[in-house]
Amino acid sequence: MTQLGDADAPDRQHDDASLVPAAEFTVREFARTAAGSHRDSLDLAAYEREPLDGATLELVDFLARLERSTMAQLRSVLVTPTHKDARITAFLVTWAYEKYWIADALEAVLSAHPGYAPAESRGPGRLTALRRSLADRFEPIRESVVANLIGEDVVAVHTTTGVVDEWTTRAAFEALRDGSANTEFRAMLERLLGVKERHGAFFAAQTRDRLRRSPKAAKLTRKRLARQHWPLGAIDEDPQLAARFFDALLPDATIAAIDARVEAYPGLAGLGLLRRAKSGQPAITRAAEALGRTAADVRNRIR
Amino acid sequence: MAFDIDQYTETSEGVGWDDLDFDAFKTHPLPEQTLRSLRYMCDVEYHTVCYLRDLLVTPSHKERDVSAFMTMWNREEFWHGEALAAVLGMHGITVDFDQLKATRLKLGWRDKIAPLKQAIAGNLIGDDFVAVHMSWGAANEWSAVAAYRRLAKLEDHPALSPLLKRIAQQETRHVAFYASQARERLAKSKVAQKLTRLALSKAWGPVGSSISSDDDVKHVMGHLFGSEEGVKEVARIDANIAKLPGMEGLTIVGDSLRKRGVVAA
Repeated sequence: MTQLGDADAPDRQHDDASLVPAAEFTVREFARTAAGSHRDSLDLAAYEREPLDGATLELVDFLARLERSTMAQLRSVLVTPTHKDARITAFLVTWAYEKYWIADALEAVLSAHPGYAPAESRGPGRLTALRRSLADRFEPIRESVVANLIGEDVVAVHTTTGVVDEWTTRAAFEALRDGSANTEFRAMLERLLGVKERHGAFFAAQTRDRLRRSPKAAKLTRKRLARQHWPLGAIDEDPQLAARFFDALLPDATIAAIDARVEAYPGLAGLGLLRRAKSGQPAITRAAEALGRTAADVRNRIR
Repeated sequence: MAFDIDQYTETSEGVGWDDLDFDAFKTHPLPEQTLRSLRYMCDVEYHTVCYLRDLLVTPSHKERDVSAFMTMWNREEFWHGEALAAVLGMHGITVDFDQLKATRLKLGWRDKIAPLKQAIAGNLIGDDFVAVHMSWGAANEWSAVAAYRRLAKLEDHPALSPLLKRIAQQETRHVAFYASQARERLAKSKVAQKLTRLALSKAWGPVGSSISSDDDVKHVMGHLFGSEEGVKEVARIDANIAKLPGMEGLTIVGDSLRKRGVVAA
């Protein structure tokens, strides 16, 4: 292959402001070596011999939907100044592709269990559904105004959100693997974790550099993360199912470990993101979220 | 004709050029005007992720098939950018992420309000607005296929022409998706037809015209479509668009070139 001058690994000196975040992560290499469909490596017949139980399948289903929700995540990222950063968008293009096939592998496991039917979802209540549908429509409108006022700092919010979500879902994959005796299932999860590895590495390196160089970005990130639902995509799910996901796959020790990693970033001490997500928040808090987020953004802008 | 999304996702791949003899660019370097057109096309391909943004603000991203397509389409277009960047690289022209970022930063306030406009229209008008995006996408992809095939023919180069034909081949699958989506959505709604006709006739411009200088647009369109054969190709694109429900008689591609003086009025 004709090698491009590896333009994404800069060899020149930068002053702090022009430092390329996550310079050690070569996006072009990531794109070149992306993992596509896993179907050929799956032995679905193994599930006929040794099927997974209903509770596990429900969690696999839940994780498949989270991994599939990339377009919704891209939507909130691309209406902001983050879309200008060609290195990040190049990463996200491949990230979405790999996650599509991770979800596809999980769905293949579900399809190998013809008896599996997702439990009747209670879904969100009618009022909640209406609020969410409205929020869904207005979010890109709100975000395209507010985030463009904030400018470059919002990129750090997105990369930090990415790393927290990646660590959370990664821990869930590991717990599923460790909790299962099915060797085929364990082997598949191991492979998928291998794919997810680079997603975490990119977001973590980006976050480290961005939060380190801009206290303003750290402040904004802190405020926004506190108002986020974890894991990403869970907002569209039955809250009871999300609660079962936490209970089954994210024990307190795991939560504490992830929270500690997040809080090691500059400006994020004491956030307790997942601890709060697991313990759940009263509805009134959630109702105030959209308002609070806008107010926080505006305050941050004024300062 | 229905679009088979599973077949598409399973066979979607980044365009390859390993097997092409890129050393041919050393013995047969491309002329200046071709490099300028390739640079334009390269920028457009890399910019696809920004068009994706416009699509995502409509409710269509929640549909499984649409989001699967967007995932693969976006990646294929990124690789078209990489392939063209590799060709440019053989001529000492480096396209890197920092330059692309600088280009996007230069777009200024228009680019900032674009998602706002799209979000308002997409969410307030709703499903009918999706038809506009799909028809717009079909027009763009038809144009892209024609542009790559024209350049492959004009140059008749041992490395460039096969590469451009491969890219055009992938673009034909994008055409199939957008056109089938557009047809289906337009056929269902007269309002969607009216909106789409209005948007295409009032706002459509050649692919890349929203991110490039007028000089570059004129150069590329003149280079590819300025000849008699090019004009025929443009007429074929317009005929395809006019076949979409409610788009009879539209000649938006020809009009946009006449307006720019690329072809005779």
